[in-house]
Amino acid sequence: MTRLLALTSREFSSFFRTPLGWVVIATFFCLSSVFFVQTSLRPGEVATMRNFFSTWWGLLLFLAPAISMRLISEELRTNTIEPLLTAPVGESTVIASKYFAAVLFLVAMLLPTGVYVVVLDTLSRPDFGPILAGYLGLLLLGMLYLAVGTLASALTSSQTLAFLGTLFTLLLLDLVPHRFGPGLREPFDSLVTAVAPSIRMQDFARGLIDTSNVAFFLAASLWFLALAVLVLQSRRWR
Amino acid sequence: MIEATDVNKFYGRFQAVRSLSFRISEGEVVGLLGPNGAGKTTTIRMVTGFLPASSGRIEVCGKDTIRHSLAARRNIGYLPESNPLYPEMRVMDYLTFRARLHGVRASKRQQAIGRSIERCWLADVAKKRIGHLSKGYRQRVGLAAALIHDPRVIVLDEPSSGLDPTQILETRNLIRELAKDRTVLVSSHVLPEVERTCDRVIIIVRGEVRADGHPARLLARLERDHPPVHVVELLVDNTAPDARAGERTAAGGWSGDVARIIAQLRSVPGVRLVVLDTMSPVRPSPDPAPPAPASLASMVSTSRRGAGSIYGAGGGSHWVRLTITPELGYTDLREPIARRLNMGTVLYRDLERRLPTLEHVFSSIIEADRLGPSTPAGSDPRQPRPEAA
Repeated sequence: MTRLLALTSREFSSFFRTPLGWVVIATFFCLSSVFFVQTSLRPGEVATMRNFFSTWWGLLLFLAPAISMRLISEELRTNTIEPLLTAPVGESTVIASKYFAAVLFLVAMLLPTGVYVVVLDTLSRPDFGPILAGYLGLLLLGMLYLAVGTLASALTSSQTLAFLGTLFTLLLLDLVPHRFGPGLREPFDSLVTAVAPSIRMQDFARGLIDTSNVAFFLAASLWFLALAVLVLQSRRWR
Repeated sequence: MIEATDVNKFYGRFQAVRSLSFRISEGEVVGLLGPNGAGKTTTIRMVTGFLPASSGRIEVCGKDTIRHSLAARRNIGYLPESNPLYPEMRVMDYLTFRARLHGVRASKRQQAIGRSIERCWLADVAKKRIGHLSKGYRQRVGLAAALIHDPRVIVLDEPSSGLDPTQILETRNLIRELAKDRTVLVSSHVLPEVERTCDRVIIIVRGEVRADGHPARLLARLERDHPPVHVVELLVDNTAPDARAGERTAAGGWSGDVARIIAQLRSVPGVRLVVLDTMSPVRPSPDPAPPAPASLASMVSTSRRGAGSIYGAGGGSHWVRLTITPELGYTDLREPIARRLNMGTVLYRDLERRLPTLEHVFSSIIEADRLGPSTPAGSDPRQPRPEAA
């Protein structure tokens, strides 16, 4: 546990020791503010953040790979993985700590957007249910994206490759079922739409917290993380 | 402490390590020597559990490095070859991180970090970012991190690569100090360092152990197989005209004074070969390796050209250096040589026995390897070529 904490805190603080962390947070906050002002902050508009969560998913598609790309790639490139994995820590602890740090960073990135809720609350009387559900959905989606990113980062020592690999995987995961799922024949359409994160996200935006959706995101994240642990362990079989 | 049993390692079809076996007991300081690509780093990575062996097993403190990897790793302090660190971290933060990673208890952490900082002379940079430090300081940070949990076994891969001579000396002293109550395995290609710090040397070439033992014992063995050459500097009278012309006489060497002295020395029991090494002005400080014997003609021309500057003890006499190779089994001929020279009233100013260094052991093993396994023990690079005699 001490080791997991030590690794997580080192990883988390390393986001802020490099410009990357600040750039990602600033980019997200600036862009989301623009969307907020344009879509929600209009006279006569309903006091929800629904439109707005859906634009964030799009942002997350690019920001999550940027957060996760250096997690393990950087250690592989500079070979700091060697002192790390010759210390008494297992591969699963390393992956878990990296992942937790990335998720914490995602939370840190979302925290400033609480300002929008405060703004809505002062101007109007928003329904907090859908807003909380929306945030939960965003967090779960981000967790899945970061898990995919962690796997990609474990596969290569190049951060660019990790970024692109994550981005393409996420696009495949998101767009393909969304676009082509409904057009398929009977058993396949429900099968394909079942694994589409974007379709599941619509429930969250509506303020609906379905346990099957929560389970899906957590299980899918775990699956990608388990693959990442296997990748890191694979040097022992080669 | 560290025990490797019949370890093999393949990278694809390339075999990096072949049936490697060794046993390092508690408190030993062992140097792992080998040319580049010999399998040193692979061996060290297998010892630290970073890489698994393809076959065979390695135990550290009785724990298998793969099956009980975490237990084995707890006892190891490891400095990897390129000393990878996080440049964006401060020295103090990094050491704290390593201490937590190794499970040093919170109550003892400050003490452990303080001890490491003191031991590796890091006090004045403790608050600096690692990326801003010089290479020598970074190496110390790596060492401090390897020592933070007070491990029983310390594994250092090329600890002095890229350091300047003062830093190498400091590292050497540190290793010596650490070795007092620990087991140390250090890989290096800096031979004098290993010679001075290690109780024992394991030489690996192409993934195989080629020599294993105390440096002095390895040297003694080499001395037996390749008797140390003796170098004597003496004053000769070289005025005989045939010598100047560089003609060989019936005596089979130089005429005049040199020929007489060489003949005298040859008759000393145990002398195999006497070679006239140089006729240029002899520098008082001996070179580590004698220059390759020049051809007959060039030696003469040197003597002519430099005639004015040569220590002219009157007329044509000057200093020359002779290299004497003993026969097998004769390791010290200084006394008989001195007696013979005194008998002939030859003036000499230096009589030195060139002891082999670890470098010679090393190069003779590598040479033997290059010539193929059939060649026994290799040829000694110090031995002059016979045709120059």
